[in-house]
Amino acid sequence: MTDSGLPTSEHLEHLDTDTIADLIENLLPAPEAHRAREHVKACPDCQQTYDALVQLTEDLADEGRADIPMPTDIAEHLDAVIVSESVLRSSTVGVHSLVQLREEPRRHLPKLVLAAAGVIVIAAVGVGVVVSTADHSNEGAAGINPTLPAGEVPSMTTDQVGPNAQKWLENSNGPVLHGSSDEIQCARVFAAGRPGSELRLVQPAKVDGKRATVIGLPGGSPQDIQLSVVTGCSGSGGVATPFYDTTVTLRNR
Amino acid sequence: MTSDITRIGAGGPPADGLGARPAGYETMDDHELLRLHVAGNPDTFGILVKRHRDRMWAVAIRTLGEPEEAADALQEAFISAFRRADSFRGDAKVTTWLHRIVVNACLDRIRRRQVRAADPLPEDEDRAAELAGPAKDDPAEVRERRLDVLNALKQINSDQRSALVLVDMEGYSIEEAAAILGCAPGTVKSRCARGRARLLPLLRHWQTTRGGSDVPAKTAAESVGTE
Ligand SMILES: [Zn+2]
Repeated sequence: MTDSGLPTSEHLEHLDTDTIADLIENLLPAPEAHRAREHVKACPDCQQTYDALVQLTEDLADEGRADIPMPTDIAEHLDAVIVSESVLRSSTVGVHSLVQLREEPRRHLPKLVLAAAGVIVIAAVGVGVVVSTADHSNEGAAGINPTLPAGEVPSMTTDQVGPNAQKWLENSNGPVLHGSSDEIQCARVFAAGRPGSELRLVQPAKVDGKRATVIGLPGGSPQDIQLSVVTGCSGSGGVATPFYDTTVTLRNR
Repeated sequence: MTSDITRIGAGGPPADGLGARPAGYETMDDHELLRLHVAGNPDTFGILVKRHRDRMWAVAIRTLGEPEEAADALQEAFISAFRRADSFRGDAKVTTWLHRIVVNACLDRIRRRQVRAADPLPEDEDRAAELAGPAKDDPAEVRERRLDVLNALKQINSDQRSALVLVDMEGYSIEEAAAILGCAPGTVKSRCARGRARLLPLLRHWQTTRGGSDVPAKTAAESVGTE
């Protein structure tokens, strides 16, 4: 703070905006504040700046009360991150009890942990969340298979795509985005041209012997998922070509 | 399972990002959702996030100016809140608690950015327009005003911006802001005053309806920031 902005004579020089702003905030030493106040009273221009600064504070407060909608892509990503945190937490709780779980699956863990017990590996990668689910249809009690690698590409026929996708999604509380960031990106591009464009499922798979990607998008109702099986997403910069479509209805949504 | 492809799109998109939730959560208050989260419920924190993300986004984008930075800060903040939800004191408002975590995450990023050296915020017009939110959500003048403020805030220094966002926009008291920013109350006041002086010429057109347009902009433009 210097005196440079203060006039030696009231009307020779206007106050600078900093000085007026300081005056409003009571930051000026008493003699300076007195002179500044006198100038503002006598000078319409500086009075106007004074009023404008007071008004600005009110305008900022008004604007500050308004929310700003989070951009959709950022919101989706945040949702996926929170889902992966949740799944991670559930599976961490589950790890302590794996042995008991096999012996007495219903006694040791709350239901919600059992629901997530099929989920083994969770990692947030790039834009997507990788949630690896174990196919526990043939497993023992509680369906735990801790040895399933995260990058597994399950094989199936087109007829099995629907039931499998249903199982993957019902084991998760949110989107299941699996595969490399390239593969997820390819699915995103594919999804962008579809009616419901939020990805619910990306799962690399061998379908009828072809390396393919199962992509799930919102269907006509909240529990419906529209599935497309596409080729072309497994390499980098690929373009999805769909060869099989179906819709599944999730029972737990 | 059905194969009824013709139905797709007919019913419109699901209500929100992750589809339908078990009934009842949406009507619970914040405290209850957080309590259930601490008790192990896997869904309720996500509902809290959805409920408050636009508020928290406003804080982050105003404080940081850059959407990528704001998104990263919010992600850090929400994960931190997720993990230490049991430290929440039940007598406070959940939003106050969340808000504070978000503010701190933003300030952490600013400090790290300052350590990396003075990097002017890059201009990105396309991204800037997007910051005003989806066009369908708000009237044009609301979006325009929002953008004006965001753009103006980006042009002042980050110390002044943080102080102004906390005090003028978010309504923290000078003392609270001083505690959050780790500086003296007088410093907060000074940063606010100087920040307003910087913003005034940038936002003067807001005030044209109130007849403030013919004040010489020269005095403001000449006053270069000294604290
Ligand atoms: Zn004057």
